[in-house]
Amino acid sequence: MGRYLIKKRDGLARSGTCTHGDFALELPAALDMEGMFPSLREVRHANVPLHAERDFVERYHLRGGSPAFIHPHSCEGMESGTFVAVPNWHTALRHPRMYVDWLLHMKGTVPPDTIWYAPTSANPSNAALLIYSGFDLFDFKCVDLATSKGLFCIPDGCFPKEWMESGICTCRGCESGDLSLHNRIALVCEINLAKRMMERSQLREHLEVRCRASADQVAVMRFLDMAYSCVERYTPIARSSVLKANSGDALNRPEVKRFAERVIERFIAPSWNTAVLLPCSARKPYSTSQSHRKFRGVIRRRAHELIVTSPLGLVPRELEGLYPASHYDVPVTGIWDREELHFVSRVISRYLASHPYQRVIAHLEGGALQAARMAAGACGIELEESCRTSPQSAESLERLEDLLDGETPMKRDHTVQGIISWQFDTRLDMDGMSIRRKGLYREVWRKGKRLFGFSRDTGLLVPTFEGWALLGEGYRVRIDDFVPKGDVFAAGVRDADERIREGDEVLVTGPLALATGRAAMCADEMRRSRHGLAVHVRKVLKYG
Amino acid sequence: MVFEGYERPLSSWLNREFYRGEKLDCLTIILKSGGCAWSRCLMCGYRTFRFPPISEEELGLRMRAQLRWIQENYRDSHFDMVKIFTSGSFFDPAEVPPEVRRKAAELFRGKLVIAETRPEYVNRDVLEDFISVIDEGVWDIPLYVAMGLETTDDAIREKSIGKGFDLESYRKAVDRAHSSGAGVKSYLLLKPPFLTEGEAIADMKKSIREASRWSEIVSMNPCTVQSGTEVEQLWRKGAYRPPYLWSILEILIGAEGHLLCDTVGAGTQRGAHNCGECDRELTQAIKDYTLSGERAPLTSAWEKGCRCMVEWEFVKREERPYCMPLTR
Repeated sequence: MGRYLIKKRDGLARSGTCTHGDFALELPAALDMEGMFPSLREVRHANVPLHAERDFVERYHLRGGSPAFIHPHSCEGMESGTFVAVPNWHTALRHPRMYVDWLLHMKGTVPPDTIWYAPTSANPSNAALLIYSGFDLFDFKCVDLATSKGLFCIPDGCFPKEWMESGICTCRGCESGDLSLHNRIALVCEINLAKRMMERSQLREHLEVRCRASADQVAVMRFLDMAYSCVERYTPIARSSVLKANSGDALNRPEVKRFAERVIERFIAPSWNTAVLLPCSARKPYSTSQSHRKFRGVIRRRAHELIVTSPLGLVPRELEGLYPASHYDVPVTGIWDREELHFVSRVISRYLASHPYQRVIAHLEGGALQAARMAAGACGIELEESCRTSPQSAESLERLEDLLDGETPMKRDHTVQGIISWQFDTRLDMDGMSIRRKGLYREVWRKGKRLFGFSRDTGLLVPTFEGWALLGEGYRVRIDDFVPKGDVFAAGVRDADERIREGDEVLVTGPLALATGRAAMCADEMRRSRHGLAVHVRKVLKYG
Repeated sequence: MVFEGYERPLSSWLNREFYRGEKLDCLTIILKSGGCAWSRCLMCGYRTFRFPPISEEELGLRMRAQLRWIQENYRDSHFDMVKIFTSGSFFDPAEVPPEVRRKAAELFRGKLVIAETRPEYVNRDVLEDFISVIDEGVWDIPLYVAMGLETTDDAIREKSIGKGFDLESYRKAVDRAHSSGAGVKSYLLLKPPFLTEGEAIADMKKSIREASRWSEIVSMNPCTVQSGTEVEQLWRKGAYRPPYLWSILEILIGAEGHLLCDTVGAGTQRGAHNCGECDRELTQAIKDYTLSGERAPLTSAWEKGCRCMVEWEFVKREERPYCMPLTR
């Protein structure tokens, strides 16, 4: 039995320190697993293929032992801290659909704070995918096998060993003409690189590069994206890194889909007659860009501002400071492909169906305009178009001014209500609230009491205890009868609102105390883990 | 009613066969029968090679018609030995009606006959009766009962093959065969599913040693991927790889006595194979050995080697039940 202190999570991937007996290991890592677990060498006549049917598994699957073997038909009863091995996982890599089905079933059954070993699977070209899939431990068998076949392994694949002499790599192995050493070093490097990329929250971007060498790997990534309801819960609500939407696959990222779903399903718009659809800007948040300063100068709060963008679809002005709206980058060619048009127009039409306006003005050109027209057609709305030339041209701005003539300006800033609805799925009575600026900080006050701050990292609202009192019953983490001293760990969590994602603001509630804080893991992990930081506590309020 | 219909056996051919230091002309026939009563072995692709359910009378007629076809197509003087397969058990009366068996005995009088059967159908009276018809005093053992023992390890036979009998029942059948004057030929299966290359080699070496105590002839069949079988499904899903030809060489070179080794499918993805470059040469060496009893072709192929030998040695050493198959 070991113990896995997970320090960083991103989707299914994790990194951290695992302790086992006397030693500590930084994960993910590749090791001589049979040296570490000699019992692995003694296993005899125990093969059970991944595809095996339930009765065969019940009869022949080895139970007990360390690492504990798990199988899609036999993965119940595992405890936190267990080393689990998925026998023959290397054969799953050729069956992407089954890879994802099996993986998600096992991940949903085995406690998250277990250490996952993928035998004979890892080589430099698939290490990123295996880590992205939530595996922590690897061996050298796959690269050693390549050595025995005379293959030179690099992240782009396996090539004839003569390639070693062409200066592609200058590691110690290549310098001394030792293929085996090179292959092992290449695997270790690739694992370390994936770990670094994960620590800067860019493992997905890294995978989107790496997976291209293999159709099966691309398929695994896409099937994982399609399993949105399983994977989204492990996806952090915010990141400090830029979401690089540099491939078509970025449209299907869970955080992209989640943002759009929440805009459609949760976001409460100001009840206003008129909406203006605006183009996005390279600079984020949009309102800091030159173009948006011009647009806002013309609109002067006489319409609700909605930004049409790929890959997010639609970003209401109130949400422009939130991840990933404030943190994405996309190659700008001016040409929108069919997938982008389809995705974006569908988000707009669903939004307009759930958020009706009397007038919708499209201050757009090119692909964004085309997407808006498609959306208007789909939901039977008549679009007023204000651009004949570039949206920033004097002519277009003048036309927008004309179209808004006679509209009255909104009196109230709707940002807080907009973010609250997106973030906490609830409505807030805004009467008497005001936003105060304290240097760079913005805060929401009412009747001399501070209710919310704005997180500078994520743009999310940070409620005070008074703020939480206004937010209904959601986003609570229930703990046992103790007063948190410092942070709350998974061991102390009784239950948690299933909507909580890593990075969410939460209220910790227990019989003896209340605490505000930021979730360090999602609700599912809080419920099913024994170890690990669950909530970074900000403030504790003791009862009595 | 007399059935005068025309019925060909499933297959038949003449070849040469090594027997006690001699090369004999051998006729092999595969009869279409009522079908194997067991029909559950994971690697067996002959399960559908049978008549649909028909009356015993019609089965008898149609099987006799096949014997007639043999009689009309092969001249008696062209062969000394006959191997009879039914894709099941020649001595199962439900599969091969007794009168058909008798006709076959009459047809092959004076020949050395090898007939395949499961152990439960090895019946002293039936064998004695059969021998009394074929025996003309030419052969000191005129009949060999051929049984697919596959391995002497009951647990492997159960898990990896699904054979439905144990070593004990095989040994009793051996005793019955011997006491009725028949010899025993045992088939062993190299690398059924769920075994690593190393486990398969070890199991075969042990099985050869043990089976040789009870059988006059031992034949090793490397497992092949036949269509419509469970083994084929495992193979398609990447969970099964047939044995390396190197494994066969290692076993044959190291064996104490002479073994027969079937090379059907060798050198293809569905049969025992190596890297593709040395397969043809190794297959030929195995054929030469089987037919001549000489080890020289094997040892010279072994010494010549191939680049894939390193891969095979790695697989043999490193493949484990929790990470297999390592290669395709």
